[in-house]
Amino acid sequence: MISLVDLSKSFGRFEAVRGVSAEIARGEVVGLLGPNGAGKTTTIRMITGTLPPTRGAVRVDGLDSLDGSIEVRRRLGYLPEGSPLHAEMRVEQYLAFRAGLFAVSRKERRAAIARSMDRCELADVARTRCGNLSKGYRQRVGLAAALLHDPDVLILDEPTSGLDPAQVVALRSLIGDLSDTRTTLLVSHILPEVERTCDRIMVFARGRVRADGAPKSLIERHARAGRLHLEAETSPDALRETLGRALPKASAMCEAVGDGWTRATLDAEGPISDAQRASIARTLRDAGVLARELSVERPGLERVYLDLVEGEAS
Amino acid sequence: MSALLAIASREVASAFRTPVGWVVIALFSLLGGIVFVAGLTPGEPASMRTFFSLSEWLLLPIAPAISMRLIADERRVGTLETLVTAPVSDWQVAVGKYLGALVFLALMLAPSLIYTGVLEWLSDPDLGPILAGYLGLLLVGMLYLAVGLLASTLTESQVVAFLGTLFFFLIVWLGGSQLAPRVPDAVAEVLYALSVFGRLGDFAKGIIDTEHIVFFVVTSCWFVALSAVALEIRRWA
Repeated sequence: MISLVDLSKSFGRFEAVRGVSAEIARGEVVGLLGPNGAGKTTTIRMITGTLPPTRGAVRVDGLDSLDGSIEVRRRLGYLPEGSPLHAEMRVEQYLAFRAGLFAVSRKERRAAIARSMDRCELADVARTRCGNLSKGYRQRVGLAAALLHDPDVLILDEPTSGLDPAQVVALRSLIGDLSDTRTTLLVSHILPEVERTCDRIMVFARGRVRADGAPKSLIERHARAGRLHLEAETSPDALRETLGRALPKASAMCEAVGDGWTRATLDAEGPISDAQRASIARTLRDAGVLARELSVERPGLERVYLDLVEGEAS
Repeated sequence: MSALLAIASREVASAFRTPVGWVVIALFSLLGGIVFVAGLTPGEPASMRTFFSLSEWLLLPIAPAISMRLIADERRVGTLETLVTAPVSDWQVAVGKYLGALVFLALMLAPSLIYTGVLEWLSDPDLGPILAGYLGLLLVGMLYLAVGLLASTLTESQVVAFLGTLFFFLIVWLGGSQLAPRVPDAVAEVLYALSVFGRLGDFAKGIIDTEHIVFFVVTSCWFVALSAVALEIRRWA
């Protein structure tokens, strides 16, 4: 549905996006993650046709974003960051204006507005001026405007900004429903949000895509460290020695927790596999040490994200 | 076409949804009324010549007040991003905005038709110069708004757009009135040809000169075209 081919954008001598290539299929929900200035918004702007690439190309549904700019934009529904609206217009007036821009026929306009307002739960504020809306409602009006013409591609820049937890859950569910038939690009700084909502994540840093894949596979591929928690009926020194035999390269921090039990936290250089966990269990058993906890702390997306971004910065 | 009409009609409606639109209309009606009354002399033929002659000066600060927000305000509040990501060309944006401002200008002039009614009631005025005067006023307004649109496209600040338009026409006026008599004839001719002011006087007398019409229409189209190009350049910059 969306092809990014060696996409680059420079502003003077500053390279905002450097050789980004990706294929995004219909129905995929893709999260764009990265620190400020990583190139996410510039990439989005090149997809929406508001910025021309310095090098490379963007194709949406086979159409070039420059040569077929108008046709590409017809296929896009875009919610910019902060959801800018015309303050003096009432919500239904604003949606009618947007429907006019997207050439939604007069016959279908009323139904399209009603459907969009219903999806985004805007009935209560239909006659309210956009300038008087709360931040959460502004986001929803922006989203309703992006959905009006039933676009093939939905691009949402920080869509949950300003929403309360219940609205975040509702929006997540709405994105899930919408993604059945369309491609969704979601730019966000909220990692758990992206992890829960997206099928695929692209991590941007310094204009490049540092990682691209499903959240689970990203964690498996890019997690640099694994951590294991253990509680055993032995002294801290004895436990440290036992663990040193099982995982020689790992560092263990042991402390007595009373009644002859010791709690250990073990940091390994890479993710700790189930086989390694079994090996530790066997070593403890062979040493005649009773364990009441042996759990692996799975590295989260946040850790992976920080590793990738910090790795790029260093 | 639907997008162009949507942009134009939003522009007209928005002018009436904010105090600025009403203030502009009230101000023009008040000043226009004073000029109209001042132009009536007992015993003289009833005409609106003074009203039309002075209205090109009244429009000078009022037209930039209409045009200053057209693009600059959209850029300031961020709505320009939602506009340029819709399937509309930069030409449609520029022309739609311009048409909206033009319709507002026509609506602003509409209350002054009451002066024609007053003249009809009091005497038997010649309607030819009055109709020609309104045509001239619309043509001058077209040019003022076209230059204002370009100024609004080039800046994010409405104040800069307003002052830019105002000073542009003051410079044109100074060029025609002060500079032209002091420069060689060839240059003076160019300055006179580019002069905006004084052309409305002919319309007020009932003279519809094709040269004036072509001047206003062509220069207005040029400035609207420049605005579209400026939008396109800013998009690709």
